[in-house]
Amino acid sequence: MGVIGQHLLNGMMQGTIYGLVAMGFTIFFGVMNVIKFSHGDVLTLGAFGGLVAVWATHSLGLSVPSQFIAAFAAAMLLSAVAGAGISHFLIMPLRNAPPLNMLLMTMMVGTVLREAIRLFFPNGTNPQRFPELLPSGGFDIGSSFFRTDALILIVAGIASIGVVYWIINRTKFGLAMRAVAEDVETARTMGINFARVIPLTFALGSITAGFAGTIYGLYYSEINYGMGLLLAVIGFTAAIVGGLGNIWGAIIGGYLFAGLQTFVVAAIPSMSDYKNVFAFVLIIMLITWRPTGLLAERGSERV
Amino acid sequence: MTATSTPGSLLESRGLTVRFGGLLALNELDIDVRHGEVLGLIGPNGSGKTTFLNVISGVYSASAGSIRLDGVDITTASAQSLSNHGLARTFQRSRLCLPLSVFDNIALGAQKRLDSGLWQNLVRRKEFAAEARAIAAEARELLHVFNPMLADKLFEPAISLGMIDRRRVEICRALIGKPKLVLLDEPSAGMTHDETDQVVDEILGIRKSLGGLTIIIVEHEMGLIERVTDRCVVLNYGKKICEGRFRDVAVDPVVREAYLGQS
Amino acid sequence: MSKLSPSHKTVPVWPLIAAVAFAAAALTTLVLIENQKILGLALAGIAAICFAAARFGGVTAAETAASENPWLLRGLILIAALAVLFVLRDDNFGLLMVATVLIYATVCIGLTIQMGYAGLTNFAAAAFVGTGGYTAAMLGQKGGLPDPLVLISGGLIAVLIGSLLILPVLRTRGHYAALTTLAFGVMFNVFLDANELLGGPQGLKIPGINLFGWDFSSDLHILGFTFSFYVNYVILTGVLTALAMILAGLLDKSWIGVWLDVVRLDETAASVFGLKIGYWKILAFTLGNFLAGVMGAVYAKMTGFIAPSNFTFGDSLVMVSIVILGGIGNRWGVLPAALIVVLLPEKLQFIQEYRLLLYAILVIVILIVRPDGFVARRVRALRMEARS
Repeated sequence: MGVIGQHLLNGMMQGTIYGLVAMGFTIFFGVMNVIKFSHGDVLTLGAFGGLVAVWATHSLGLSVPSQFIAAFAAAMLLSAVAGAGISHFLIMPLRNAPPLNMLLMTMMVGTVLREAIRLFFPNGTNPQRFPELLPSGGFDIGSSFFRTDALILIVAGIASIGVVYWIINRTKFGLAMRAVAEDVETARTMGINFARVIPLTFALGSITAGFAGTIYGLYYSEINYGMGLLLAVIGFTAAIVGGLGNIWGAIIGGYLFAGLQTFVVAAIPSMSDYKNVFAFVLIIMLITWRPTGLLAERGSERV
Repeated sequence: MTATSTPGSLLESRGLTVRFGGLLALNELDIDVRHGEVLGLIGPNGSGKTTFLNVISGVYSASAGSIRLDGVDITTASAQSLSNHGLARTFQRSRLCLPLSVFDNIALGAQKRLDSGLWQNLVRRKEFAAEARAIAAEARELLHVFNPMLADKLFEPAISLGMIDRRRVEICRALIGKPKLVLLDEPSAGMTHDETDQVVDEILGIRKSLGGLTIIIVEHEMGLIERVTDRCVVLNYGKKICEGRFRDVAVDPVVREAYLGQS
Repeated sequence: MSKLSPSHKTVPVWPLIAAVAFAAAALTTLVLIENQKILGLALAGIAAICFAAARFGGVTAAETAASENPWLLRGLILIAALAVLFVLRDDNFGLLMVATVLIYATVCIGLTIQMGYAGLTNFAAAAFVGTGGYTAAMLGQKGGLPDPLVLISGGLIAVLIGSLLILPVLRTRGHYAALTTLAFGVMFNVFLDANELLGGPQGLKIPGINLFGWDFSSDLHILGFTFSFYVNYVILTGVLTALAMILAGLLDKSWIGVWLDVVRLDETAASVFGLKIGYWKILAFTLGNFLAGVMGAVYAKMTGFIAPSNFTFGDSLVMVSIVILGGIGNRWGVLPAALIVVLLPEKLQFIQEYRLLLYAILVIVILIVRPDGFVARRVRALRMEARS
């Protein structure tokens, strides 16, 4: 019975991370009609940036809370710059290229980031230990043990999802973003500064990646150069299942995928290696049933 | 809901209704198209003209009502099967495959009578070549009606043609299938007044050389409608508000209000 | 190049001969040279000649000559192939590389039919190749089935596995469709890694090929010369590549090619004129997967060993990039693209560690600078068949 609590916690954490990644995907697609597959590797970049920041502040003798903040700040900044840079130099100039070319290119950009980290970060091929910056230990509820740091991270993650949602739906910038996503031409004629909204949107999406990467590092206590790839595939999947361009869909998709994984691990422990297989099979079935995602509109076109 | 077939009607719709979510695009439409006539379908923007064409050609589903083509109920027929029933159409926004050659595009119109089996296409190359030559000859003939120079461009990519030539290719694509009923969706869109006059003459010429072709034209250009059509149906908000010859319809007060009342 | 010119007006043939000779020489040079500096110079030279040829219309001249003289082209290729084989006859590693290039090329021709002709996105090509490989491995362990059937089985099983994806592939469009094959590819890998029955991450050993008594593990002795046994594999893969090229060519220059193009470009127009979209997509998907499965079986038996790490998403990505770099929809472009993608990383030893990084950068650069690929797809010209 106590295991259930553990699974629940794990699932929530995973779902939060997937949701954050999926939100990025859906934002990028909504505003520029592009699937930015390098998103996962931007997350990794952020995580490594956070790690370096922790090392730096630690060696400077700064307090643990400062290191904690430095990690997030560095990760989010680095990811934002990388994400905005990629969008400005590589995606925007090619926005009229065939979607397949764009998809391939962002996948390659991801590869570049991943390989760069592997090759140029000291001992990059091996997993890096992420320091403990949150209070260890936990408490019991019933027969389940709940880690304190896990709870803090989950709350932080959900809070950040909320912040992004708020930015998109309640601020002027978010309005501009949604206008551009809806209809670029009209948005421009309405006076929205296209050249500013786009990079800022990519920065926003990438900031969430940096945030997610740091959370990942703190929760699992380690990061490695390849962690972004599977996260990207899952995040992409979650965004698709929820319906590309739909923020709620991305969030729900992320938790759904985590839920499927957790279900397999909890219900059939001997098959836990196959958790991703099960999840993907179910996702494919879902997509077949609803070819444009769970929360998307359906037209009456038969062809 | 079976409808009695009116003699002399090639196409008839009864109570045809199309809903998009909350929007009623077509509202209990009863339309008859007689064999061999050119019917104009007019009405203000958003009155459902293109929707009507889309429902008939299987692109949209009908929410209620029925459609019969030559006595056969085609209300739920798929777009694919409709071409077998003798239906062909052009599109409002030109739907040519631009990277493909003029020949490829026109051949699509003849698809249903071509042998597309693997054996024929991969092994029996001589027979395939003969079929291809025959289609090329037919395509050239059709293009020739419009413009002999166009016939020479049979193997140019469609993207290299100007707008008016692309329209002509689309019409040829619709005609090569030897259809019973052709739907023309705003054939003059994007063209100048003179070009429109040209298209009108060409359509009349085609009709003459093919003899007995039934056409439904959706148009905004009233001059074209006046010259080309035998009869008109006027739609407004998805309902038929008037029908008859153009000159009668043009002075009908209900019609005038529909157009002018919209500001 | 007027299409009104009568067929007996002579088109110069020497550009074609020069092109084939140059290709053969370039291939041999790249394979043979070990010294990194000389290799670098050779590469630069080859690249320069290619640019110059493209710039001064040499490529177009060769293409025209090729389409007017198909039998000459086939003859030249045959002679060139024999010459290359002769020169490389005792370079084991070189022959193995050439065979690998040909395997990738054939798989990518299948991928061209799927993506370039029918417009399906397939990010799981490596998984289908792997299916063929594992089929060969399992059949090899059980024994009994003659090798020609083993190879065909590899193709058939790949088709079978692919049919599981048919429904999602047909119902989804664009990025949603990309997800389907992407997820499948990732799943395939996870499944193989975890599954002990199929060897797990350690992989499986497989015996070599024996076709109708032709034992691929023994050297060939012809006219007093000894050809290393890898030649057998090069000949086999070469024949298969040629067959795949012919298949793709016949498809392209037929009604099937036209219908596939229309399905890819405009499904609404396709439906309205009677094309059954599902049928054509399934056809393309099946053909491509069959080729992938057969080549997977060949690959497995050639290398004698397979493991899940041979068939990752990264490998599928490489195959997709070969198709795009070569010029999507143009089967001829697959050959030089496969050559560059497979050969260069092996040869340029000094960049071994950085090969994936440099490869990714190269693809990005080409996508920006030459998005149509090396050899852009030409407008279909059924002129030979449809002369009035």
